[in-house]
Amino acid sequence: MKTTKKYWKGLAQLNDDPIVEKLAQNEFVEDLPVDQFLGDEKNLSSTNSSRRDFLKFLGFSTAAATLAACETPVVKSIPYLVKPDEIIPGVANYYASTYYDGRDYASILVKTREGRPIKIENNGTCSNSRVQASVLSLYDSARLKTPLKNQQESDWNIIDSEIKEKLSNLDGKTIALLTSSILSPSTKKIIKEFSAKYDNVRHVMIDSTPYDGILDANEDSFGNRFAPDYSFDKANVIVSFGADFLANWMANDYATDYVNGRNPKNGKMSKHYQIETNMSLTGANADKRIQIKPSEQGYLISSLLDGISGKSFDKRLTKIVSTLKSNKEKSIVVSNSNEKNIQLIVNAINNKLGNYGNTIHIDKPSYLKQGNSGDMDNLIKDMSSGKVGALITYQVNPSYNLHNSNEFNSALSNVDLKISTSLYNDETAYQMDYVCPDHHNLESWGDANPKYGTYSLMQPTIAPLFNTRQFQESLLVWIGKSDYRNYLQNFWTNKGVDWNKSLHDGYFTYSDSKLKTKSFVDLSQPISKSEKNSIELEVYETIAIGDGKLSNNPWLQELPDPLTRACWDNYLTISDSTAKSLGLSNWTVSNGAMNGSLVDISGGGKTLKNVPVFISPGQAQSTVGMAVGYGRTRAGKAGDNVGFNAFPFLNVKEIEITKVDGEYEFASIQLHHTMMGRDIVKETSLAEHIKDPSSGNHREKYYTYKGKLPANEVSLYEEHDLETGHFWNLSIDLTSCIGCGECVISCQAENNIPVVGKEEMRMSRDMHWMRIDRYYSSDMTKELSKEEKISPITMYSEMEVPSENPEVVFQPVMCMHCNHAPCENVCPVAATTHSNEGLNQMTYNRCIGTRYCANNCPYKVRRFNWFQYSENEKFDFHMNDDLGKMVLNPDVVVRSRGVIEKCSMCIQKIQELKLTAKREGRPIKDEEAQTVCASSCSTNAIIFGDSNNKESEVWKLRNDERAYDLLDHLNVKPSVFYQTKIRNKS
Amino acid sequence: MLEIGERFMTKSLYSKILLLVAILFFSQNIAFSQEAVDSLAVQKGEQIYKANCTSCHMMTDKVLIGPGLKGVTDRRAKDWLKKWINSSSDFIASGDADAIALYEEYNKVAMPSYYFEDADFEALFAYLKNPPIVEEVITADLAVADDQGIKTSTILMIIALFLLTLVYLLTSLKNKLKESIGQETETIPETLINQFNLFISEHKNVVFVSVATLIVVLKFTYDAMLGVGVYTNYMPEQPIAFSHKVHAGENGVDCNYCHSSARKSKHSGIPSANVCMNCHTYINEGKITGTTEISKIYDAVGFDPDSKTYIEGYEQKPIKWVRIHNLPDLSYFNHSQHVVAGKVECQTCHGPVEEMEVLYQHASLTMGWCIDCHRETEVAMEGNEYYTELHDQLKEKYKGEKITVDKIGGIECGKCHY
Repeated sequence: MKTTKKYWKGLAQLNDDPIVEKLAQNEFVEDLPVDQFLGDEKNLSSTNSSRRDFLKFLGFSTAAATLAACETPVVKSIPYLVKPDEIIPGVANYYASTYYDGRDYASILVKTREGRPIKIENNGTCSNSRVQASVLSLYDSARLKTPLKNQQESDWNIIDSEIKEKLSNLDGKTIALLTSSILSPSTKKIIKEFSAKYDNVRHVMIDSTPYDGILDANEDSFGNRFAPDYSFDKANVIVSFGADFLANWMANDYATDYVNGRNPKNGKMSKHYQIETNMSLTGANADKRIQIKPSEQGYLISSLLDGISGKSFDKRLTKIVSTLKSNKEKSIVVSNSNEKNIQLIVNAINNKLGNYGNTIHIDKPSYLKQGNSGDMDNLIKDMSSGKVGALITYQVNPSYNLHNSNEFNSALSNVDLKISTSLYNDETAYQMDYVCPDHHNLESWGDANPKYGTYSLMQPTIAPLFNTRQFQESLLVWIGKSDYRNYLQNFWTNKGVDWNKSLHDGYFTYSDSKLKTKSFVDLSQPISKSEKNSIELEVYETIAIGDGKLSNNPWLQELPDPLTRACWDNYLTISDSTAKSLGLSNWTVSNGAMNGSLVDISGGGKTLKNVPVFISPGQAQSTVGMAVGYGRTRAGKAGDNVGFNAFPFLNVKEIEITKVDGEYEFASIQLHHTMMGRDIVKETSLAEHIKDPSSGNHREKYYTYKGKLPANEVSLYEEHDLETGHFWNLSIDLTSCIGCGECVISCQAENNIPVVGKEEMRMSRDMHWMRIDRYYSSDMTKELSKEEKISPITMYSEMEVPSENPEVVFQPVMCMHCNHAPCENVCPVAATTHSNEGLNQMTYNRCIGTRYCANNCPYKVRRFNWFQYSENEKFDFHMNDDLGKMVLNPDVVVRSRGVIEKCSMCIQKIQELKLTAKREGRPIKDEEAQTVCASSCSTNAIIFGDSNNKESEVWKLRNDERAYDLLDHLNVKPSVFYQTKIRNKS
Repeated sequence: MLEIGERFMTKSLYSKILLLVAILFFSQNIAFSQEAVDSLAVQKGEQIYKANCTSCHMMTDKVLIGPGLKGVTDRRAKDWLKKWINSSSDFIASGDADAIALYEEYNKVAMPSYYFEDADFEALFAYLKNPPIVEEVITADLAVADDQGIKTSTILMIIALFLLTLVYLLTSLKNKLKESIGQETETIPETLINQFNLFISEHKNVVFVSVATLIVVLKFTYDAMLGVGVYTNYMPEQPIAFSHKVHAGENGVDCNYCHSSARKSKHSGIPSANVCMNCHTYINEGKITGTTEISKIYDAVGFDPDSKTYIEGYEQKPIKWVRIHNLPDLSYFNHSQHVVAGKVECQTCHGPVEEMEVLYQHASLTMGWCIDCHRETEVAMEGNEYYTELHDQLKEKYKGEKITVDKIGGIECGKCHY
């Protein structure tokens, strides 16, 4: 039967809508952009090449390329003509040196290969991510390559003669030497000689974040304008009012000491209270954190003094007062306030507690901060009134990081002779008459005296890359002398220091004359409570960027902040409830990335437009935080125009926030904030731990035919033979890990990990082989839901929400090197295999990029090279730059596009270590075995070694009752394991 | 590369023939003088000479540090020589005019004392009197004829043309004949197809052989494709015609003397020019190439062989060697691992270097080649304390089997690829 049924494609067709006919005629609703891929039509028609020609060209070029590939490549190999004795091609040399850039100080070991520095290791002291990353800044193409005169390339001879002449003819005007805090005794002597040669020399020191409050207070209290040195390892109680002493406060890294005082093995941990506004790294590690507004700090500190003196005090401090009272001489109270009076009260508290001489050393001070903002303000005044004839800057960038940089810039025009010694043509330098670029730290000679009695030497590890000259040398030349190296050597040998030994060790002890201090005078004024309703601002420095000196270092820009996990940005941190009340939010978009609202802020007569808002759990109510170090305009290709400059707001206390239209795209790589009731980080309290060392380390048991068994006793797979030979293990102590990210940078430097840029980071295509996960606690817990009979759905949804004042845990995660690895089973080409030493190996040249392994990895540690990150214009970072490529480690392959990569447990170092032992015919010593994350960890949270060596530290840790495997119910038998987190809470 | 190889082989063939002629010619002379000499003494003398004298004297007229010893037994009396050799300083002190003159002539460098037995002296003098015949360097024009007459391809072309013409002629003839008897004519392609079908039906064996040949050819092609990127026998021309045969073979210089970093580093290291100069400060003339090649070192470092001094302010020129053994970047190889820890001879991978006039790549350097060796080579565990514990464990595990490199993880990917 013939059917006459007609099926309509829609109502429009039934109604005979003309659009149907139109669409039927037109296959493509939108015009195809044919022109775009075929190019100009005119060109196309006028060309003589036909399609056949095109195919011929294609065929020919393919054939030619194939043939060319068959040719033997001629590789030239050019040996030294006269080989330096200390260099053996292929073998690394290590030199002890010192890092100091005017802000961060560290005693370092520099690893060089064939004469070029490629890695920085700690030389027995604490360092940080910026010090680790500074080796990349050596090869920064934005560095000045020649001296400049009026922004034109010039010659040292011309510049020197002109400067000398101008310096001697200033008509009685002063010469201002504007520097960072000078740690170098020899430089101080040169400055003295410089002042003797030219009259009217005035030396002003500034710190990018001013510490006048604490310095002035100590001058009043003890007679010396120095900050004391602290022994956080000796303190039983630490009370910090906003001082981020684990990260940036005073640029003094106390992390090692702090962690040494918190070793649960001794059954004793210091009790750490943090009373702060922004969620800082130190606050995240505290046992008890109290949120306050910045304006409350003075009152609370004053109240604490009252409490200790037996008067009435704020009830929030009850616990603190009682523990402090019972731990006299064994406590530390610090504050980040820059107000002298508040610091005077802090001194009074510490004096009352008898901490001076015990945990706080006023007679052995720290010299890291010596800046004086008062001097700077006077200098700006004198500059604008024309009293200053010459200005020489060193290690400072006042046009960028002064809160009143506008005033500085306008005053600058009244100075006759302006000289900068910056490495970069930065915000200040480009306004100067002469730029006499300094050497990079790794090209320089030098000395440093970071604190009383501690000295270290700096030696060059590479010949100067450019036509630059050390600042000290420049000063010497301008007073008619030269050769700073000899000057330095004579300076110390005349003092009886063994030059060669000190240079070899990198540091030496030298007994200073005893510092005279006067006995304590209490000059503090009590501060009363004052209520403010406005939104208060606290400016802070991030772990990665600090004061912005190394802004052009892409490793640092891409290091995710330990708390917000965002990179390539600064933003306004705000608490969830304050954000809600202002109608601000963060939300996730379809590609899994995070966006946020924008606001305009104003305060202290200054405004900033379109500032992104980042909701940060732990931020105090009605407060916001803002990081300095961003918004550089003349840093270089990586650092320019990243974020906004918060320095003008340095002294602004209260701000107004107005929501504006638009949204901001963040590059945050962790958008889930809580553990959702799982025990990813296993945690217990010190009291519980003393009772039962395995507390918190609960192992779930599962039903099997043999009865209930823990996961690690049930397996389908055959075991690898891990008893024969080595078994490399890594233990991560979550109690010691403070989350600083130093290991991440260290790993990036060692393993040639590319920088991918903000856009890629935003899409979670980060390449870091190790990440530090951060989890906030939530108010909802499983126990609470049972108690209050809350349904599981409500429970889990509420578990997703972090508390307003959460406890924070950090967890470094890299490849776990599973001995039953899920990735190995699914690789179709056997590109990832297992070694008999307990390592999961990744063979890049075998990998075809199916990414099955990444999908099957329960820890999400496998990284895929979505693009060619080296020699690619689209990723214009150090790997796209001949100079930047000099930092690459020649023992590790630079991966190409389309392959998976991941932590190799520094297999190049393991192989090297084994080989050295084999060559020398001896067993491996336990302390020799190091991965770079382990060796760079300032708090010794990461321990690496051979578990088949029963003497090794890692074997003991593997059998410790605190040891647990991440996601142990999967029984993938990782070679990496964790030690439970222990907090000293009641 | 092959061309150079061929040329070289031809060159060596030529020189061998010339050498043979030379030996035949000179052997008669040797036969004459041999009558007078006790060959045993000469042999012993040679030993003494090589052990004691070569670092300062040459057997020619040439001055090294001391004078050349050619004809010294004629110049000086035996007793004089004995005194001088026993203790030149005593001899000078005794006031011998000749001795003092000699001392003055050679920059007052005293010769060390050698206390030889009389028999040793006799042997030494016998050797000095009858020095070994130095083969004269015969520099013949070794230009090889490039022109090999008419090229093969041209000949093939001519043959092909000839055959085609033949086919045309025969077909036309056949067609003419067919026309004459009234049969249908055939075009050339038709003829060819018909002939081909006829051929197949009549010559099945030949077809079978052809197919087999095709398979063999394909197999060869496949193997050739596998050889892409494998450069066995790669023998590039080097900026200096350095002969490993002369240095490592004839003079017995230890490989590690020049390639010293092979014991310490992943690279064996091409020696820097200052290592060459350790010897070539004194050795200015080579056996084969005379001064031409050695002067290239002097040119690089700025050395004046006549005054034996380095030229002040000379702009040194690096020597751009062509690297022969190129492993891809994706594989890590360490020389010291193999040379020191593994106690592998250099020749195992590099072949008979001491016989190579021009160095070439001996091994294929493919991964299969590496792995084959790792599967067969026993680990050098004896006497190495690193292995003490491991050795016991492995002995138990493998129960008397050879403990080869692969048994300690030597064929795991991560050992070479990271």
